[in-house]
Amino acid sequence: MLTGRTAALLALSTVTLPLWPSPWWGVVVLTAAVLALAAVDTALAAPLRAVRLSRDGARAVRLGETATVTLGVHNDSPRVLRAQVRDSWVPSAGAPSRVHRVLVEPHASAALETTLTPTRRGDRPAVRVSLRSYGPMGLAFRQRAGRPATPAWRLRVLPRFDSRRFLPEKTARLRTLEGAQVTRGRGQGTEFDALREYVIGDDVRSIDWRASARRSDVLVRTWRPERDRRVVCVLDTGRTSAVRVGDEPRLDASIDAALLLAALASRAGDQVDLLAVDTVVRATVSGGRHVLLPRLVNALAPLQPSLVETDFELVVGEVLRRERKRALVVLFTALEPGALGEGLLPVLPRLAARHRVIVAAVHDPLLERMAEPSGDPYLSAAAIRTLGERDRVRSALTRNGVTVLDAPLDVFPSRLCDAYLTLKQAGRL
Amino acid sequence: MRMRWLRMAVPLGIAALLLTVTGITYAVEQPDPTDADFLSPASEAPIGGRALADALRAEGVDVHRTTSTLDAIGAAYEGDATLFVPVPGVSHPDYLRMLESLPASTRIVLVDPPARTLDTIAAPVAATGRRWAAKATEPGCALDEARRAGTAAALRQRYEADGERCYDAGLVRTRWSAAELVVIGANEPFRNDRAGEHGNRALAVGLLATKSTVVWLDLHELEEPPAQPVDPPGSEEPERESSEDPSGEGVVGGDPGSGESGEGRSGNGSGQSEGDGDNGAAPPSEGRNPLWDAFPDWFWAILVQLALAALVVAVWRARRLGPPVSEPLPATVRGAETVLGRGRLYRRAKARGPTADILREAARQRTAALLRLEPDDDGEALASAIAAHTGRPRDDVDDLLYGASPETDEELVALAADLDALAHEVGAPPVRTDEGEQR
Repeated sequence: MLTGRTAALLALSTVTLPLWPSPWWGVVVLTAAVLALAAVDTALAAPLRAVRLSRDGARAVRLGETATVTLGVHNDSPRVLRAQVRDSWVPSAGAPSRVHRVLVEPHASAALETTLTPTRRGDRPAVRVSLRSYGPMGLAFRQRAGRPATPAWRLRVLPRFDSRRFLPEKTARLRTLEGAQVTRGRGQGTEFDALREYVIGDDVRSIDWRASARRSDVLVRTWRPERDRRVVCVLDTGRTSAVRVGDEPRLDASIDAALLLAALASRAGDQVDLLAVDTVVRATVSGGRHVLLPRLVNALAPLQPSLVETDFELVVGEVLRRERKRALVVLFTALEPGALGEGLLPVLPRLAARHRVIVAAVHDPLLERMAEPSGDPYLSAAAIRTLGERDRVRSALTRNGVTVLDAPLDVFPSRLCDAYLTLKQAGRL
Repeated sequence: MRMRWLRMAVPLGIAALLLTVTGITYAVEQPDPTDADFLSPASEAPIGGRALADALRAEGVDVHRTTSTLDAIGAAYEGDATLFVPVPGVSHPDYLRMLESLPASTRIVLVDPPARTLDTIAAPVAATGRRWAAKATEPGCALDEARRAGTAAALRQRYEADGERCYDAGLVRTRWSAAELVVIGANEPFRNDRAGEHGNRALAVGLLATKSTVVWLDLHELEEPPAQPVDPPGSEEPERESSEDPSGEGVVGGDPGSGESGEGRSGNGSGQSEGDGDNGAAPPSEGRNPLWDAFPDWFWAILVQLALAALVVAVWRARRLGPPVSEPLPATVRGAETVLGRGRLYRRAKARGPTADILREAARQRTAALLRLEPDDDGEALASAIAAHTGRPRDDVDDLLYGASPETDEELVALAADLDALAHEVGAPPVRTDEGEQR
C-alpha cells in the first residue's frame, strides 16, 4: 500500500518533465521509478507475521475512575518495525482515539499505554488492534486485517457505589441498636445476648434480679439485635429497570441501594443473597459474609436492563427455592401498574406467606414537579393521574402485607437502610 | 457482510434489468430502415408505404418508384416532381450532393436524414435535438400542408434551417440552391400502421402531392460509390477523403467503423501519446482539438503525472487504520416519557373536561387532608368546611370544586390556578400526603 509520501514524490518529480526530450516517456519512466521505490520499501518493511501483541494491566475499574492497559508490541523479525498502531476499544470504554507511532528494534519489544476512562458500567472489551508496518523510506506500508492477532482483554467497570457515603451513619445507628457504642442505656436489641456485671450508669431497669440473686453480684441483661438472619436482594432487570431516573437507568439506582444494604446487613451479621431476574436469572450471589461485597460488585457490574416483561412467577419460584428459612426479601422494581399488577400481585401471597417482603422502587422527582399545579394543566393532570396509579399499586401491595418503599433517587439507599434497621430493631426480620 | 453486499446488489440489479428490458423493447419497436418493407410503396407491412402510395394515386399524382439514387435524381431533374427519399442514410453522399442542382420546380422530401449525412452533403439544414420517440404536436407554422393536416406525429428530430419550421422544428422547409427541400424527422406519418393517427395521412399526402409526379426512392441497402467521381459544381476538395471511406456515411444511426478507420489513418502526433490511453490523447486527424496544440507536450505530461499522484493519494487515503468499532447501546427510556405522552394526548384530544375533573379531584383530596376530613365525605361537608375556613362565599367554593367543565384552554388554566390558590388558602403550603408520611 502506498503512502502520501509516494504521491508527493510523484507530484514533485513533475517539475523535471519539461527537461525530458519526450515528456510522455518521462511520465512513464518517473512513475515506474517511484513505484519501484515503493515496492522496494514494501519489501523492506517488517513482516506482519513476525509481530506479536500482548496485553497487561487493569482488569477492573470503578466507574468514573481511570485505568491503564498496556499493549506490548514484540518484533520477532530481523528488520526494524516502524509502525502505526491503533488500539480500538468499544466507545464506552473511553479510550482516546489516538494512533501510536512506535519504532521497535529487531527482537525487541515496546509497550503502548492506553488510558481508559469508561463511561458506562459493565464489561468493556478491547475490540481490535490495527497495525501498519512502514518501510524505511515511508513510501509504502504493510497492513492486513486480523494480523497480528488481537489479544483479547476485558475491563470490568464496577458500579460507582455512590451511596457509600451513607454507610458510616447507618453503621453508627446499627451500633446504637446493638448497644455496643453507647454504654448508657440498654441496647435496644430484642435478642438476649448475655449477662454481665452492673456498672454505674447502666439502666437499673435492665438488672436481672433473678440472676443477681443466684450470684452475690448485681447482673444486668444485655440485648442485641437478631443475628444470622437472611436478606435477599432481588433486582428486577426487566423493561421497567431501563427507565432513566435522573441521569442513569433505574437499575443503576437499584444496584447502588442493594450494595449499601448488603454492606450494612453483612456488618449486622446477616447473610445476604442476591438475585437478578427478568425472564431468566441473570445473576446470583449467595452466602458468604466477609468477602461478600467484592463478589456482589463483581456479579452486579455486567448487568444491563433488557426490554422484556419480568417474569415474577420465576422470581417468586427462585426465591422460594433458594430460601428455606424465613428471610427479608427486598424486591427492587418500579411501582408500575402494568408490570406489578399483572405480574407480581397474583404470585405475591405465596412469597409474603413465607418471607417478609419489601418492594423498593426509586422514582423520578420530575414526576412530582410536573404534578404541581403551575404550568401546563394537561401535563399536571397526566402527572397526577400517574401518581394516583402508583398510589393504587402501593395500597394493593400493602394489603398483601408488603412494605412499600417509594423514594426519590437521592435518598433511596438511605431510606432502604432505615427500613431495614427499623425492621431489625423491631425484631421482625 | 453478505447482507450488505445483497443490499447494494439487489436495487442496482433491478435498475439494470429495467434499463435492459426498456432498451431491448425500444430497439424491437423501432422500424429498421434497412428492411425492404420500410416505407416501400409496394409493401403492405405495418412499416410499409403502400397506403400512402395509394392515397397519392387517388389524388391523381403519378408515383414513380426507383431503386437507384442516380435514376431518382435523373427523374426528378425533369421538374414538376417530388423526390421522396425515405432512407437518405443509405444513398451515397456523392449522389445526394447532386440534389443541390435540382431545378426550382422540384421538391425534395428527406425522412430523418442522419446528422452526419446532412453535414457531408452540405445541406442547408442542421440536425439539433433528438427525441426518444415521435410526438404529435400542433403545426404552429404557415406551411399550407401542415396547416391542413393539423396535429401530426412529426416531431422526432429537430432541425435548424432558414425557412419555415413546423411542428416545433420537427419539419423544416427551405430552399437548397433552387430546389425546395423538406426535411422531416419522423417516419410515422408515412407508415401504413400510423397513417390513420391524428393528421398523419393528410400531412404525408400534402407533403408529396404538390407536384404531378412523386419519384419514390425505394432503396434500403448501401449504395456502391460512383465509378468515377461525379462533380457537382463548386465543392471538389473536401470530398476526396470521404469518398475513400465507403462505410463512413453509410449506415443509419452510427457506425463504429468510421471512428476506427479515422484513428488508424491519423499517424501524425500519436507517436508520443502511446502508453497513456486513459486521457484519450490520440485525436483523429480531422477532428483534432485546437486546445491540444495550444500548450506544449510537457504541460499535458505534467497534468497526467499529477493525475497519477492524485490517484496515489486516493489509494493512500482509502486504506483506514482499522474500521470503526460498533457497540450495542443499553436500552434506556426517559423517566417521564409516558407522563409527557399522556399530557400531549390530553391536549390533542382537547380533553378539558377529564383534565378539570382530575385537577378538582386532586384539590379536593388535598384540602380534605388539610382540613382533616375523611376523603370519602360528601361534597357538602367539604365545601362548607372550606368556606368556613377561608371565608369565601360557599357558592364560589362549590362552583370551583364541582362546577361545569371549562370550555377553553384559558378557562382551564384559570381553573388550575384557582384550585391552587384555594389549596394555599386552606392550609399551610401544600404537601403531598404520601411525602409527609415518609418523613
